[in-house]
Amino acid sequence: MNMIEASHLSRTYQRGDGTPVTALRDVSFVIAAGEFVVIRGASGSGKSSLLNILGCLDTPGSGSYRLAGEDVSALPDDARSHVRSKHVGFVFQSFNLLPRATAVENVELPALYTGASPDRARAQELLERVGLGARADHFATELSGGEQQRVAIARALMNDPPLLLADEPTGNLDSAAGESVMQLLTSLHEGGRTIVLVTHDEHVASFADREIVIRDGVIASDTVRRERRQA
Amino acid sequence: MNATRVIGSAWRSLARSKLRSFFMMLGVIVGVAALTALASVGEATRQETMRQFKRMLGTFDTLTVRPGAGSTRGMPSLGSVEPSLKFPDGPAIAAGVPGVKRVALVQQAFDLDVSYRDATTVPLVLGVSPNWADIRGEVVASGAHLSEEDDGSLARVTVIGADVARDLFHGENPLGKVIRIADVPFQVKGVMASRGAGPGGASLDNMLVIPVSTAAKRLFNRDYLTTLVVQLVDANASDRVAEDVRALLRERHRIIPPAQDDFTVGSPRATLAQITRVGSTLSKVVTGVAVIATLIGGAVIMSLMLIGVSERRREIGVRRAVGATRADVMQQFLVEAILISAFGGAVGILIGAGGATVGALLQKLPPAYMWSMIGGAVALSVAVGVIFGLYPAWKAANVDPIEALRS
Repeated sequence: MNMIEASHLSRTYQRGDGTPVTALRDVSFVIAAGEFVVIRGASGSGKSSLLNILGCLDTPGSGSYRLAGEDVSALPDDARSHVRSKHVGFVFQSFNLLPRATAVENVELPALYTGASPDRARAQELLERVGLGARADHFATELSGGEQQRVAIARALMNDPPLLLADEPTGNLDSAAGESVMQLLTSLHEGGRTIVLVTHDEHVASFADREIVIRDGVIASDTVRRERRQA
Repeated sequence: MNATRVIGSAWRSLARSKLRSFFMMLGVIVGVAALTALASVGEATRQETMRQFKRMLGTFDTLTVRPGAGSTRGMPSLGSVEPSLKFPDGPAIAAGVPGVKRVALVQQAFDLDVSYRDATTVPLVLGVSPNWADIRGEVVASGAHLSEEDDGSLARVTVIGADVARDLFHGENPLGKVIRIADVPFQVKGVMASRGAGPGGASLDNMLVIPVSTAAKRLFNRDYLTTLVVQLVDANASDRVAEDVRALLRERHRIIPPAQDDFTVGSPRATLAQITRVGSTLSKVVTGVAVIATLIGGAVIMSLMLIGVSERRREIGVRRAVGATRADVMQQFLVEAILISAFGGAVGILIGAGGATVGALLQKLPPAYMWSMIGGAVALSVAVGVIFGLYPAWKAANVDPIEALRS
């Protein structure tokens, strides 16, 4: 089964003065369920625009995008919220934890918007899984960067989405913390989750099975690098 | 999202920025406290006015008939009224108008010297029929009320008010003593229980009563009355009974409209309603001011919430990314605004009711709370939360998550 089917995606923005800027031009690719793919590109290459579309935060100007078999390219705002809630877990460069909430409250957050009953036990279990069970009642601001990012990953897993989207997840971390975050993502991938990671860091990219390079809004290369994959 | 979780999450969010929450509440607290306090003090005053009237009139379930064509102001005295209301008018009303229970006859004057040995005072002197004390619910502190025999035999006996007892007897037991009313000797038969203050705070105890027949024949030498007190069977029928009384008296006095009546029928209840209405005009002004204060509180909530929305753009972006719809975000901010203003309203009511209690106690009045106004204050504070929370909540819902999450 294909997790992501992007065909002929284009995205154009209006500058402040009205002139159009093309961020993506006719981008097509397919990502199968269970793949670990890295998208690389310099800043301004269009990789953030692509990530926003893949995460259903944005819609393509033209082309079609199917996520987990469902065409989501023209869904209205509310429906895209529900798709994100069900199918996508986000991991951000700057963690984006709620500073006035504890670790376990942050992990629970996605469950608030599913209509299901609150599940503190699952949030606690996810914190244990990322090695922070003892930190559950610490506020986000009391945690180190590496710890915050692991809480963010636990949050991304709260609704058990099949797809994780990570945007420079190690960009704000020192190399040791970055390494442990990458190992965590690798183990999630080995557990069967599809991971799409955006980075410009060659070392981080080396954790993935496959690398898509974006340049000036088009795919410059799409390479399979299976040598790092551990069975 | 279910309601308890929405409210719980909004509550935590507010509890974690206490100072901001406090400032957001402040305007509503002040407005609602003022509203509650002023309304309650007004209510305490109104109730005290009611009590003063009740003490003066004894009961509201009466009509009063006075001689003269209306517009007579102040207390009627035998020397100054038209001699149009005669003794037989009383029994005629009692017998001829349905809905009338009893009629008391009154002759009064307030310019007579009353003395005992060297002491002299000038109380209100009332000649009253024997049923008067019962209609008004008067109580004697010692001795007995005037009786039918006293009236029938033109007995020179009197029941004196507490002030007269104090002024003339200085602690001596007045019962059985003989006082002189305009030089006519009367024996003290009873002392009335104190009635306290009437409207305006004047004492209601500076008076004495004597049998009305004795008054007419042995003291005043007048065959007309200053007041008829008409007791009603049903207080709600007072308008109809008043009309019937007028019709009967016109017939008896041979008055054919458009000729003017030579009497006036008054209703204590109507008088009281008019007096309390004057008070309520003042309280409307005061209420308006408090409402404006609350609205300013709402504007403070709105401006601080707008700042809050721009400070919390990243939080909004995160919530949207993990699945919150625009409606979820809107709801969250709206619930926060309503919680703030409702909580502020609750605090305001406590402060206002406390202030009203202290105010009433300082004026030595029993505290009263105007529950309708307090209910209104609650409704107002919730409404302020909704109205002034709506725009910030809408702004929050329309934050672009992509912009908000860009680092």
